[in-house]
Amino acid sequence: MFALTDIIQAVGLLSCFALLATSRIGACIRWLSFQGILFGLVPLIVHHDGLSIREIALGSGNVALKGIIFPWLLLRLRARADYNREVQPFVSFIMSILFGTLALALSVWLTMQMKPALKDAPFVMLDSSIFLIFVGLFLIVSRRNALMQVIGYLVLENGIFVFGVITVVGTPLLVELGVLLDAFVGVFVMGIAIYHINREFGSIDVDRLTVLKG
Amino acid sequence: MHASESIVALLALSILGSLVCLALRRPRHVLMTVVGVSAAQMLLACNIWAAVVSGHGFVSAAGQWLYVDAFSAFHMVVLALVFVLSSAFAAVYFGHEAEDVFTAAVASRFGTLWLGAQGAMLLVLESNNLGIMWVGMEATTLLTAFLISLHPSGLSLEAMWKYLIICSIGIAFAFMGTLLAAASIQSDGATASDALFWTNLASTRAHLDPTLMKFAFVFVLVGYGTKAGLAPIHSWLPDAHSQAPAPVSAMFSGFLLNTALYCIMRFVPPVQHVLGQQFPSELLIVFGTLSIMVAAGFIVFQKDAKRLLAYHSVEHMGIITLGYALGPIGSFAALFHTLNHSVCKALAFFAVGRLGQRFGSHDMHAIAGALRADRLWGSALVVSVLALIGVAPFSIFMSEYQLLRAVIGTGAWLTLVVFLAAGGVVFIAALRHLIDMAFGTAGEHDRGARDGAFAAPIVVVATALLLLLGIWMPLPLFDAISSAAAVLAGQP
Amino acid sequence: MPALASLAATVCALVLAPLLFGIVNRTKAFVAGRRGPPLLQLYWDLAKYLRRGAVYGETTSWLFRLGPVIGLATAAAAITVTPFGGIGAPASFTGDLIVLAGLLALGRFATVLAALDTGSSFEGMGASREMHFAALAEPALLLALATLAHATDFVSLTSIYRAIDAAAWTGALPTFALTAMTLVVLLLVENTRIPVDDPTTHLELTMIHEVMVLDHSGPDLGYIHYAAALKLWIIGSLLVGLLVPVRSGDVWLDLAAMLAGMVGLALAIGMVESAMARYRLMHVPQFIVGAATLSAVAFIIRLV
Repeated sequence: MFALTDIIQAVGLLSCFALLATSRIGACIRWLSFQGILFGLVPLIVHHDGLSIREIALGSGNVALKGIIFPWLLLRLRARADYNREVQPFVSFIMSILFGTLALALSVWLTMQMKPALKDAPFVMLDSSIFLIFVGLFLIVSRRNALMQVIGYLVLENGIFVFGVITVVGTPLLVELGVLLDAFVGVFVMGIAIYHINREFGSIDVDRLTVLKG
Repeated sequence: MHASESIVALLALSILGSLVCLALRRPRHVLMTVVGVSAAQMLLACNIWAAVVSGHGFVSAAGQWLYVDAFSAFHMVVLALVFVLSSAFAAVYFGHEAEDVFTAAVASRFGTLWLGAQGAMLLVLESNNLGIMWVGMEATTLLTAFLISLHPSGLSLEAMWKYLIICSIGIAFAFMGTLLAAASIQSDGATASDALFWTNLASTRAHLDPTLMKFAFVFVLVGYGTKAGLAPIHSWLPDAHSQAPAPVSAMFSGFLLNTALYCIMRFVPPVQHVLGQQFPSELLIVFGTLSIMVAAGFIVFQKDAKRLLAYHSVEHMGIITLGYALGPIGSFAALFHTLNHSVCKALAFFAVGRLGQRFGSHDMHAIAGALRADRLWGSALVVSVLALIGVAPFSIFMSEYQLLRAVIGTGAWLTLVVFLAAGGVVFIAALRHLIDMAFGTAGEHDRGARDGAFAAPIVVVATALLLLLGIWMPLPLFDAISSAAAVLAGQP
Repeated sequence: MPALASLAATVCALVLAPLLFGIVNRTKAFVAGRRGPPLLQLYWDLAKYLRRGAVYGETTSWLFRLGPVIGLATAAAAITVTPFGGIGAPASFTGDLIVLAGLLALGRFATVLAALDTGSSFEGMGASREMHFAALAEPALLLALATLAHATDFVSLTSIYRAIDAAAWTGALPTFALTAMTLVVLLLVENTRIPVDDPTTHLELTMIHEVMVLDHSGPDLGYIHYAAALKLWIIGSLLVGLLVPVRSGDVWLDLAAMLAGMVGLALAIGMVESAMARYRLMHVPQFIVGAATLSAVAFIIRLV
């Protein structure tokens, strides 16, 4: 029977490529929500000692936060800001997709380096998490719109969350603390910041935030 | 008061003070609260330091969740010192701002975030659990972001956004490193709740997986290095320092960067234990020398005084990192340099801040003839910049000299050449900028304003400290710094 | 028996290929609320073209006459290496997937040369667009076939497709699903269907493939239409062979399943053409590269 982790990996990779290739902010936010729900299932299927309340809480917490609350927040921000359609990112879409393919190859290679040390972690989830980190970083660096940068940050957080869930077994609260606190408070703060930026500049095109140089 | 109670009291005081500021309605009250809390914390920090140095070498509280050894105690005292100076200066600086600029809302926001950030930094220094340490660093990022844009304007929002995004990525990487460290402990089968305690990680009984610790250290170095201002991930630093109000810039350079370096160094003893001394040293040397070179290059072309000081911070962080990489003598020099740089940089930012208020702009062409325009802060500027570039008999000269001894001692010849060359470039460039700013006919400036009560004491204390430490190292200080360096070498 | 089955499959291909277009057009008409042309329309059209004489422009040379002939020849040759589901191709050998890609490319090359030979600017425009998309689609096709080869551990199309049964699907669901998606997109690109190209447009500036064959007439036009039908059959059988993993021992059952699949494919193409509009020209490369990426992803995740 085909493994559930393989399907999650394949669909998760697709969602990342979709994020790399889509220009409309609304579509990106929906893909992000889908990704949050998808990877929120990981704690439920990769349980080392049997399904306990901790895995259920972690999974449902991630689904709620990244699948529902953050996208809602981002959609509200988008509605307030006038600029809700990314015209052309710094890196074209074809280049972004090609970068995604290279990043996937690189993350598979890195996983092969790390695998001997992490015996319990499923390979497919490991390379998905590293790939998510790469894609998140790339989105932050290559997109003009501040909302897209926040989306990239959330994808990065998704990757770290998956990595934490599959590698850290016994240390209580570490992964939960990290991801939920980090993403939760971080996104709220970024939301407030975007609100201020929009009020000051009338747009959230970070290409205009280039006065400070040197 | 028992030292262990002091540890908890420090944290509680910050949180309490921050909440109080939230409720205050008058700017003067906020500033007085901030100064009061910082003075009390100075006393508590000295108490803890004394207990650590004279006692077992560490103080713990809350069942080992809070743990202060020589290394953290030293940083704590530096933090408290710079904090009290900066708080006093904040009273001076904001006292000169107009009523409609430094409103009650802005003041209370300032007080809350200021004390809250300080509490978070204390949590970082006091925490034994590396996960909680990370939480503290994350909290400092979020709290200080709005301190940068205290007075919202286009430029300050730009600086704040860059800071937020770059440092959040850095913190995410640092979290990844912490996760990898946790995974490497578990490879031995240890799953207790205190698995991430530094005392466990660094003890010789711990069995850590080498591959995972290697990856963990790289992630931690890049992640916390972003917050510490190491090149090439320092790009937020000049913008944040130049756009934030002067007390906030002083706080950034004076203790936030040091706290981030502290986090990196906390990971070094376990990594050294598993992978040998060479691996972390090489990485630290690379980042250190790169920071020094990049900063030297940018200092030559600066036009804004606060950006100039920001690049100086990058350079000095590079020097401190270099020191940490060079064994016990280097670590001693690095720790001494931490103290000197924090005091000196704070004084420099104070001077530039007040002069900027007087001249109406921080552009170095606008600030001309500072010595004549404002005797007190003009001389503070001259003293601090001279000290920064390493002029004797100030203390930075001494710490850099000791660092050079360490470099020569370990035979790192390429590093020596780079260090001396960059130091020379910085010397000439910064001196030229200083001469332009300090001497000559005074430009357009506001002649009237008289400085508040704290102004002269701040300058006198800071200058005295810089001079004193340059000439004489008191024995207790020597012992304290040596024990802190010993912690890094793996003998707690 | 296998040889007879291969022969039967080839005969089906040669005879039934024009029927596919009939089904597609009938479906589109039905969805639009019309009755539409008869299912056998393309047969009547081919007969008509063969009866007529051709008109050749004065600017053209022997290349123009050669183009349609080579197009048909390569399409027919490609039929002989394409397996029909579990039924093997008449000619199968190691590396025949590259030969397939090469034959299709040769056919396209000949068509483009013939188009450029006319000296008309419309056809030059069509030729450049066609080659732009082909340059992106060929790596996609090769990647898709390479992924299938890697997944089934064979390097010959017949062996690959014979190995893709229901058990193989459940063992490597993500790989096959992603490759199937790539083949769907390739089908639309190679056969110039919507959303890549509109086959029914009469505005030259919006044409890509039709404008290349604008100047052909008579038997040449017949060859071109028939070759297009054969190409649809070829890529269609690659796709349906992947999607319909009926590999029972009985070859007639397999044949029937595949034919049913081809009919279903034609219906699906008709539905897609009715539901979508053509993409803007600058989005088509992104579409094709996206499809290539799907195969690349399938290949990479299989490497582990």
